[in-house]
Amino acid sequence: MIKATLALFAATAFATLPSGAANEEEDKSALLPPVHGVSPDNPHSRPPRDVPLVIFEDTQLLAADADDGHDEEDDYAPILFERLQAQFPDRFTWNEDEEHWVDARGEYTWDDENECYWQTVTAERLTRGRQDYVQLCASCHGFDGDGYGRSGQALRPPPRDFRQGLFKFTKVDSEKLPEDDALVQLVQEGLNGTPMLPWDIHENRIRDIVVYIKSLSLPELLDEDGEIEEDATGWRDPYGQIGVMVAADDDPWAGRETEAIAAGEAYYHNYQCYNCHPGYATTARMNELGGKDPSYTYRDGITLPKVVEDSSYEVLGYAVSIIPPDFTWHSMRRGETVADVYKTIAAGVGGAGMPTWKGSVPDEEIWAISYYVRHLTDTYKDKSATRMQFMRDVKAGH
Amino acid sequence: MSPFPSTRSSPETRSSTRHGAGRPVSRWRLAGKLTALLAVALLPLACGDTRIHPNPSASTFGHRHDELFMLITALTGVSFLIVLAMMAVPIIRDRARPGKKAHYDHGSSLHDKRFTAIVSVVVFIVLDAWVLFVSVTDLREAWWNYPPADSEEAYRVEVLAQQWAWNFRTPGIDGEFGTADDVVTINQLTVPADRPIVLNAASKDVIHSFFVPDMRIKRDANPGSVNRVWFQTKPEAAGNDYQILCAELCGFAHYQMYANLTVLSQDDFADWEQDASALAVASFDADDTEAHWAWDFKE
Ligand code: HEC
Ligand code: HEC
Ligand SMILES: [Cu+2]
Repeated sequence: MIKATLALFAATAFATLPSGAANEEEDKSALLPPVHGVSPDNPHSRPPRDVPLVIFEDTQLLAADADDGHDEEDDYAPILFERLQAQFPDRFTWNEDEEHWVDARGEYTWDDENECYWQTVTAERLTRGRQDYVQLCASCHGFDGDGYGRSGQALRPPPRDFRQGLFKFTKVDSEKLPEDDALVQLVQEGLNGTPMLPWDIHENRIRDIVVYIKSLSLPELLDEDGEIEEDATGWRDPYGQIGVMVAADDDPWAGRETEAIAAGEAYYHNYQCYNCHPGYATTARMNELGGKDPSYTYRDGITLPKVVEDSSYEVLGYAVSIIPPDFTWHSMRRGETVADVYKTIAAGVGGAGMPTWKGSVPDEEIWAISYYVRHLTDTYKDKSATRMQFMRDVKAGH
Repeated sequence: MSPFPSTRSSPETRSSTRHGAGRPVSRWRLAGKLTALLAVALLPLACGDTRIHPNPSASTFGHRHDELFMLITALTGVSFLIVLAMMAVPIIRDRARPGKKAHYDHGSSLHDKRFTAIVSVVVFIVLDAWVLFVSVTDLREAWWNYPPADSEEAYRVEVLAQQWAWNFRTPGIDGEFGTADDVVTINQLTVPADRPIVLNAASKDVIHSFFVPDMRIKRDANPGSVNRVWFQTKPEAAGNDYQILCAELCGFAHYQMYANLTVLSQDDFADWEQDASALAVASFDADDTEAHWAWDFKE
């Protein structure tokens, strides 16, 4: 009886087995190398290496540049020590004669020659950071921090090469190195629309990873004699400057959103953001907004972004082009709110050709532009008719 | 300590006053507790909690999946009830009563064996064969019924999974992969409504799985090979967004690996494709060969 049952089962299964299933099997066995950058015969793909997980040496990283009293706003040192003092009272004392801070624990030390503070990071802390980095970040950013991890290959924009010490969206003046808090916030918030995720791991772990990332920006900076190059960047460079996140407390347009958007439209086209980003008005209107002669014409494809070809971001020695976002199309990487957009525009985008606008443009105007840009991104969320129509009209007018 | 009172007293319970040694268990109390537990477990069902139902299918053949699911639930549910009823008979009929000993039986007589065999054949034919027949029909007529290779109507997408993102490449207006107007996006796929969408899924690193619950499709994306999957959105899906998930544990941030599927009406889509291709051409960098991943589409 049992045998009969089994036979019946086999017969039914056989009878109902579709021919499709057999095809499916054949198809699967046809192995294709699917990706240029990832196929086994790609000359660039590197063999897996042994990654030592333990770091044996304490490392010194630039903690703050000199407090020379000239340029209060740009000096990170007073802000850093103020914060540290709030956290650990009595730990830091001001040395009147030599005019620098003294750390009772010896973690922060003053370098008289280069006029900067160094932070000594213990091997233990770096090791912790490295372990998390390898587990969480290396798949994209690479085991050596070169931005060429297995999953990071063929990604555009490419994952950051941490050896360069160049950052885009830290909301810190793009010519300076970002403070720790800026990097921590960035890692926690992620970059919208890129595979850089918001990492919801404990803040202390992120801080350790950040310290480790900072320690990576060394080897590129030494010339043949082992001397630090003049134009070096990175946290091992005593000439480096550390900046603070742009503050966005007093919004001059609060409560006057419509006005701000209208003003922003004028400023946006006035400051020629359309040289890289698209222009968002007809030729006639752009001339009117920019105070130009009615016969003035613009670059070809003004309704499309103009790609920055030789950016500072290299993949295997090739400087990848960077696309200035079209605000009605791309998602804003760190711009959920008007204040976020303000910070990004004010700080600029490091290494990508997007200038630091704070200082060269009055604050009020940057705020207005932020309202306008934010307004443009709203059409991004509207997937169909309105967005399409908006750009149709603009294009028809060129 | 076990949540249920026990007649066998352990050293700890012996000293406790509540479960004193030799205290008889109240069978009714136990039954009461079990009933309460069951009631709590079934509460969401009773309240009509929508979280236990999937969203209605947005694809033309997704309803087949739901029907198969309901069929299996009904068949197994009914047979479960039958088995329960058949167990209840000897439990009640043969139990010990005042003046009657309990009746024990190993079911080893020829009669019993024959009965068992007949029941298994009937269960097999009714349950397994039925479900097998329906699922194979579904696969043949829907999931494996790919649009023909030369189909003009089909919209083709190459899906490249990676830790922890979805890369999509669509052929742009020229309809060919590996050209300057290919639209390459990350974590965002835009497709037309009411047209067959054929996808090729592959992976850069580890195994991922391309899962669109609302379309009732799921397919592994493996490194080194290309898997096909297709669906067709209903016309009324136009204008909606759906979730694309990774259904294969692929590392630490697997839980964050999701993308967005936007369905546009055919007119909106034509406009969208025009714009997307123009943007792609404007930002195409011919020398950046590494970014030009694409493969011969597997129909
Ligand atoms: C899935 C791939 C991926 C993983 C994993 C990943 N990143 Fe990134 N990351 C990127 C990409 C891509 C960019 C560049 C985005 C851009 O330029 O718009 C980036 C950029 C960054 C930046 C620079 C942002 C800037 O302002 O320039 C930092 C810092 C960073 N990642 C830190 C981390 C850390 C820390 C981890 C691990 C916890 C991590 N990333 C994991 C893909 C990844
Ligand atoms: C020299 C070219 C150039 C000019 C001029 C320029 N930008 Fe940019 N901008 C860029 C590039 C390139 C990026 C993107 C960098 C990237 O993707 O990594 C960018 C990024 C941005 C972003 C960030 C978007 C995001 O994803 O968060 C904003 C906002 C922005 N620009 C606004 C402006 C405004 C406003 C102006 C005019 C006041 C302006 N830009 C002028 C090149 C430029
Ligand atoms: Cu995955």
